[in-house]
Amino acid sequence: MDLFAQVLVNGILLGGLYAVMALGLALVWGVLNIVNLAHGAFIMLGAYVSWYLYTGAHIDPFLGLPISAFVLFVLGYALQRGLLNLVVRAPMFNTLLITFGLEVVLTYLAQIAFSADFRTINPPYAGNSWQLGPVTVPVVRFAAFVVAIVLTIGMWIFLLRTRLGRAIRATAQNLVAARLYGVEPRHLYAMTFGLGLALAGAAGGLYGTVSQINPYIGGTLTAKSFAISIIGGLDNPLGVIVGGLFLGVVESLTKLYIGPTYGDVASFGILLLVLIVRPSGLLGRTA
Amino acid sequence: MFKALLSSIAALAIALPCSSTLAQDIVFGASVQLTGPVANTGRYYRDAYQLAVDKINAAGGVKIGGQSRKLALKIYDNQSDVNLSVRQYTQLVSQDKVNLLLGPFASNFALADSAVSEKYEVPMVQGGGASDQIFARGFKYIFGTLAPASNYFGSTIDMLKSLKPAPQSVALLFADDAFDVSVAEGTRPKLKQAGLNVVMDERYSTNATDFNSLLSQIKSKNVDVVLVAGHETEILNFIRQAKSLTVSPKFYSFTVGVPSEDFRKALGKDADYAFGMTAWLPSATQKDRWFGDGQKFADDYKAKFGYEPDYHAASGAADVEALVEAVEKAGSVDPKKVRDALAGIKFDSLYGPISFDAHGQIDLPQTVIQVQEGTVTAIYGESGFIKQPKYPMPPWSAR
Repeated sequence: MDLFAQVLVNGILLGGLYAVMALGLALVWGVLNIVNLAHGAFIMLGAYVSWYLYTGAHIDPFLGLPISAFVLFVLGYALQRGLLNLVVRAPMFNTLLITFGLEVVLTYLAQIAFSADFRTINPPYAGNSWQLGPVTVPVVRFAAFVVAIVLTIGMWIFLLRTRLGRAIRATAQNLVAARLYGVEPRHLYAMTFGLGLALAGAAGGLYGTVSQINPYIGGTLTAKSFAISIIGGLDNPLGVIVGGLFLGVVESLTKLYIGPTYGDVASFGILLLVLIVRPSGLLGRTA
Repeated sequence: MFKALLSSIAALAIALPCSSTLAQDIVFGASVQLTGPVANTGRYYRDAYQLAVDKINAAGGVKIGGQSRKLALKIYDNQSDVNLSVRQYTQLVSQDKVNLLLGPFASNFALADSAVSEKYEVPMVQGGGASDQIFARGFKYIFGTLAPASNYFGSTIDMLKSLKPAPQSVALLFADDAFDVSVAEGTRPKLKQAGLNVVMDERYSTNATDFNSLLSQIKSKNVDVVLVAGHETEILNFIRQAKSLTVSPKFYSFTVGVPSEDFRKALGKDADYAFGMTAWLPSATQKDRWFGDGQKFADDYKAKFGYEPDYHAASGAADVEALVEAVEKAGSVDPKKVRDALAGIKFDSLYGPISFDAHGQIDLPQTVIQVQEGTVTAIYGESGFIKQPKYPMPPWSAR
């Protein structure tokens, strides 16, 4: 029973991290209809930014999150303005190709710039934990979980309440009507992509603090984020966190009771099930 | 018209390799992971091959029948992709017409690539694949200089028997690839023989990042000894997550990572107490014809590339030397003659004594090592303890 409780907590905390990773991908996908295959590579870049901030300037990785998010925001804004806006209304296949290309380029550049060495963001408190009865709660994972919740709810409020958020939703729902109301789509698209990457930047900082960084972590992170976005649904940031938590818990329990090699089977199996039963996600609107 | 064009292309294709200036050089070909997820270890092979070839050329090259010939290297980057590496070896043999082959890193690569050397009957000496599977297929053109995977934990288990307090229970975790499965298959009977109680025997997915479920089980079963056969990224995550879940068995040991410099750098103080094994530690007692000895090789390597070599690098350099010895012994670069010479080769190298068994695999003892205060320390070898291990591992809170 203790073991079950521990693994359940592990799964929930892992799910929080998953949710932050997927949040940016889901936003960009939902609004711009771009499945950003380079999303994981941007998480990797965010992780390196945090790593340099921590090892170079001794900035705590959690305090460094806004900086890493801002750096990625600027990169995202520029990329969308300069590159992705060219294909944003092209068939989806083109956007897939271009983001796939970005992924390859970024990964390769990262190896040249950062080498293939493994890095970890390892502040002195990285391994600390709290003991709650029989359950051990790792401090950093818990903090990452809190950041995930805060970002998700912040994102939700932002989309619901602010002018920019409303414009983003309006553009996603009906571009022509949004333009008639004075929304400038090129700027708005760039803002959205920038926000998506800012979330990736924050996710990267958290990821580097709980796991390890090398130029090749991107691919699997993209795949995971993709699955979570579909499971949760693209309509609503809350869907992403539900998707992330669900996946984290199911994977952890699967590894415990069925076997450690079945984690991915479970997560992609659920992905298939969701696609068949609820194609718009667990929290998505049903048609 | 079309036919003429076709035949002229064919003529060109045949003419090209001949027209290159490599005719005088003996060319060794290899496909190595220079980019991609295992580039971190792949670089040891590229650098070691290059260093050994340069050293041998600087000393005058290879003597064949009284004539000196220089060595040349042709290395492709396989981007950590097995299928690409097979294509590249095929290209090396069939189009580039290299004389002899050096290996890639990692067992799954060597397993696939050795099919090419076998098909074209060009010997490959590889220092990157330790899985016993590579040598279990009766291939005649594959030779390996990494100690057999099945025996990676052999010396560790010998040592476990003489530790106080005696460990009782063992967890064996391994990734689901050729090398790590071979390690697990070799380790199981040894654990049984040693009278240890295997309470967990779990296979996990290669590239797994989340070990929380496994670690929680280790903690709840109060396991004394944890043996992990996996890859560096997995082991980094394993140790970091062990710390954050306060899982501290009396002893843990890992097949890779512990001997590598960047592994210890990435973990910092948390790398302490981790055990591992290596078939090579630089020493002045390993006499070598070209480098002088193992220590000098390590110094040359560090000076040239800016990082410490580990056993992968030494094994790679030994591969070049093995080919050279065999070419000189055969007095020819004819692949079949070199193959026969390799089968009976016996010489001392910076890596240790080199000779191959009937399957083409070397047999080298593994020295148990432990990270003690940030440095790799040899603990237990063939003749018993070299230095006292730090055992049992203190809990994370007491470090």
